[in-house]
Amino acid sequence: MSEILKLCHIEKIYGEKESKVFALHDVNMQVKEGEFIAIVGTSGSGKSTLLNLIGGLDTPTKGKILIKGRELNLLKRKELTIFRRRNIGFVFQNYSLMPVLNVYDNVALPITFDRGNHKNHDYIEELLKELGIWDKRKKYPSELSGGQQQRTAIARAMINKPAILLADEPTGNLDTSTALEVMGLLKTSCQKYNQTILMVTHNEAIAQTCDRIIHIEDGKILQKPLFLEKDGDKKC
Amino acid sequence: MLKLAYQYILYYKSQAFAILASIILTTALLSGMSSFMYSNTCNDLENKKTMYGSWHYSILMDKDISKFYNKKEKEFSVVQYGKMEIVDKIEEQYLIYFLKTDNVYRKLTHREIVKGNYPKKSNEIAMDRYTLGNLGFSEQIGDSIDFNGKEYILSGIIESIWAEDTDVMEIFVGDDFNKNIGEKEKLSFFYLQFDEKKPLYKQLDAFLKKYHLSSDCVKENQEVTAYLSGEKPDSIYDIIKFGLTNKDGNFTYIILKLQQEYQLSFYGMIFFLCFLSLFVIYSVFNISVSKRISEYGIMQTLGISETQIGITFVLELWLLFLIGYPLGCFLGNGILNLFYQKLQHNQVFIQEEIGTAKFYIACPVIFFGFIFLLLSFLLIAFLVVHILRKQSIYQAIKGDYFLKKGRKIYSKHYFYLADIVTRKFLFSNKKKVIGILLSLSIGSCIFLCTIYMAENLKVHAEMSMKADDGLNSDYKISIKSKKMSDTIPADIVDTIKEIKELSEAYAVKYILGEITIQKEELEWEEYFDEQNKDPYYQQNFGGICVKKKDGTYGIKYDIYGYDDGMIEKLSEFLLEGKLKKEELKQGNKIIAVANMDAQGNYNFYGKHPGDKITLKVPKDLNCDKEILKFQSKETNYVEKEFEIAAILSRSLTKEDNFLVVPPWNDAPSLIMTNQEMEKQYGIKNYRLFHISTSKKEMIDNIRNRLLNEIHDIPKAVLQGYTTEMEIKKNQLLQQELFFFAIAGILLVISLFHIINSMTYSIFSHKREYSIMRAMGITDIGFYKMIIKAGILYGLLTDIFIFLLYHMILRQGMNYYMVHIVQFLHIKTEVPSLIMIMLMILNLLITVISVVIPARQVVKSNIISEISA
Repeated sequence: MSEILKLCHIEKIYGEKESKVFALHDVNMQVKEGEFIAIVGTSGSGKSTLLNLIGGLDTPTKGKILIKGRELNLLKRKELTIFRRRNIGFVFQNYSLMPVLNVYDNVALPITFDRGNHKNHDYIEELLKELGIWDKRKKYPSELSGGQQQRTAIARAMINKPAILLADEPTGNLDTSTALEVMGLLKTSCQKYNQTILMVTHNEAIAQTCDRIIHIEDGKILQKPLFLEKDGDKKC
Repeated sequence: MLKLAYQYILYYKSQAFAILASIILTTALLSGMSSFMYSNTCNDLENKKTMYGSWHYSILMDKDISKFYNKKEKEFSVVQYGKMEIVDKIEEQYLIYFLKTDNVYRKLTHREIVKGNYPKKSNEIAMDRYTLGNLGFSEQIGDSIDFNGKEYILSGIIESIWAEDTDVMEIFVGDDFNKNIGEKEKLSFFYLQFDEKKPLYKQLDAFLKKYHLSSDCVKENQEVTAYLSGEKPDSIYDIIKFGLTNKDGNFTYIILKLQQEYQLSFYGMIFFLCFLSLFVIYSVFNISVSKRISEYGIMQTLGISETQIGITFVLELWLLFLIGYPLGCFLGNGILNLFYQKLQHNQVFIQEEIGTAKFYIACPVIFFGFIFLLLSFLLIAFLVVHILRKQSIYQAIKGDYFLKKGRKIYSKHYFYLADIVTRKFLFSNKKKVIGILLSLSIGSCIFLCTIYMAENLKVHAEMSMKADDGLNSDYKISIKSKKMSDTIPADIVDTIKEIKELSEAYAVKYILGEITIQKEELEWEEYFDEQNKDPYYQQNFGGICVKKKDGTYGIKYDIYGYDDGMIEKLSEFLLEGKLKKEELKQGNKIIAVANMDAQGNYNFYGKHPGDKITLKVPKDLNCDKEILKFQSKETNYVEKEFEIAAILSRSLTKEDNFLVVPPWNDAPSLIMTNQEMEKQYGIKNYRLFHISTSKKEMIDNIRNRLLNEIHDIPKAVLQGYTTEMEIKKNQLLQQELFFFAIAGILLVISLFHIINSMTYSIFSHKREYSIMRAMGITDIGFYKMIIKAGILYGLLTDIFIFLLYHMILRQGMNYYMVHIVQFLHIKTEVPSLIMIMLMILNLLITVISVVIPARQVVKSNIISEISA
């Protein structure tokens, strides 16, 4: 498996002077293609911040983030947006669907941002069927249950076939059985499309279903990534 | 509840600011517009007072005046009164009164001394320039004047009557003049000025009742009292009842009467602006509430009642209103006040006393607006709660959109879904869209209507000056005589025309005539019946419209002879037919001036160009008074048939010694060429002569030459209009400028409102736009999407404005101008350039107003917006 994500000495500070808060401190990590990683930690530990930095939604105060060998910090704003669109998929805890679009259009939305990109309706259909919401394709988010909305959000995140899928507490708003279903879907797609998934969760049981668990506390990674031990790739 | 409302304002700062901004802007519009209209009325009144005096009523009475000096009763309050006594008079060759007056009378009637002193000694007299000039005296103070067999000293010159429009020459004398005259030999008039804050008619009634005076002795200064409830108005109920039930009543009657007696247009506009303000505030507030529906849902689960939610809404609105309303009033009135001050400071339009414009704040309207909106917020709260009630608490907690949920899959038909999303955000709720479009377009529509009104007012005022006021020339020579044979000899007219400095010299012939009308052609029989009752018409003409033995009607007409120059000028007033000078000179062609009813409709007994009329005139101009009744032997008259060449709305001049007598100021008239007048009736001399000069610096010189030329014409008088024309033109220019300026200010305020509404509309979807950014829309793509939406809104607003203006507002304006204010002209359009510029401006503003919030959305942090 080749390396897809690499974080080197990432530091994220919010605020200035007395109100300075260290959200992340000297975070280093590497992720290989096809991995399904859970990032766990208590509230305010910095796990969502880490995910946002990886997704290019926020910028680190220090350090480098490399995805598919490209350093995010060096990308211009527009390049970063396009890079994110093509390589990273997002799943938010609150689903963040467009209330004015139905399921099908919500899923298709990111493709339409890429003018040159052909809309593969067969793929959309396949995804929706895979996620079990094909028959809901004409429904609006407000007409769906939480689980259905999250499946829609997952479908939307996967529509551009991103290399990395970032999920911020995707099961946080769901009941246990739905949460397990969603986890199953994420795992299946991870295997089927060889996608790398980084998932923030505070649920240890759900985290246990992942390939690897990264613990964050007070902005620092507590446990050494398992693959480092396997591969001996110890330095950034 | 108050604390909750306060906390909402603090927490949702941008929403609160948008509501506050809409309150400030609409209040600025309301208070500014009402103050502007109020200032216009006040300035008009002030101008009228300067022109016609500030007295309200004059009363012929013989009581001791000292007893009501400064008298304040419960029902009336005499603020000022002046006394004028006619102590002597001369009737030949001019009608001249000798007046004893006090200071207050002269002040109230604007007849103050402009040069020298008021007469004190028995041999001292003072006159105005009109009297001095026409009696052939110099204006040198201290000159000896031989007059009526006595010798007087000219002690002073009195301010002339407005437009020198008088049948009587007045000589002012001191207290010692004719001292021995008995009380019964003189006529005493008291000129009263009541308290203008109360209706004048009520005060007059109480005054007359208190002093046991008859209303027959009262003369009203109608030009002034028309602004101050000088006459008792009919009740609104009676007006509407008459309009709906009487055969002569109709919708126009109701509107016209309400306008005349209750200032419908002013109060109508105030109500319109109040409702507009309410509507705009409601639409912004509604958007704000729709963004926090879920919180109200949560609160409802916690036990808050709908009434309590409603109270929270009301308190929130009231808190913002208490800040916004004073600020809005300050802004609206402040801008206008600055504008007025600037104008006065530059002294652009100040000429003498008339034409100065002051700014008046419409305090009662501002107070009314405050109470109206304050109470109306209860309605807004009710409506918003009513909308919330449509959803279940669960739906409310979920924060569901009120969307019409079509099942179309857009991505199968459109490539770029971002545009669909924006369009759906902006256009999903049709009611809201129409509301926004209406509020966006209202400023532009007011602007267009104001320009339309101003353009037509300008032309109307110019035409009125030419027609109604007779202010179409610098000078008018007329004959103050009721004998048609008294004329201005043709050779003197020719001599005057030789004066090089004259730019225009139009001489007019005159004869009184009668046309024959069939019964079925006769309109307004009641109007003529009323006119026939006037003793003046009965005594001099046996009535205006008289039924004959054969069942037809004879209607008295002023027949004028115009020269080519005047015929050309008539084209502005043409309603039907053609004005071809050569055709008018050949054959029996005549131009008819149509009758206009009280609702601005024109008609000439159902006749049109090409139809014939029979016209009868006395055979001899030097005829007996009885012949003017058109009831003597047929041999005394010439009867001929004429073909109507054209029908006009007005004529250009008026002979005011025959049919034109107040209050009947619009005597019917017919016009033919001077050549035709001579050919048909052998009339060679003239009755009126209009003269203008292009060399204004020669005005006094020309006046003296004209006075010199007419000196030997019996009963001829010269009236000068130069000052009045300047003043009128100034007023017109000022009014026009104000209209444009106000339209501009209102437009600017409305543009700010557009920015506020659009900005808020974008901000209300900040989270959704952030999701799209997270999904990968580039900044440029986002801007493009937003700008496209702005352009779409701009175009829709333009279309909305265009349709609203052309299909509704302009029709309404036309109706208002034709039937209510009765403009002579409503053909002038808003210049296309202004229309195009306005459309472009709207487009530009909507684009700017979406780009501003879009920039902030782009700058905002995606994560914090999504999690908000």
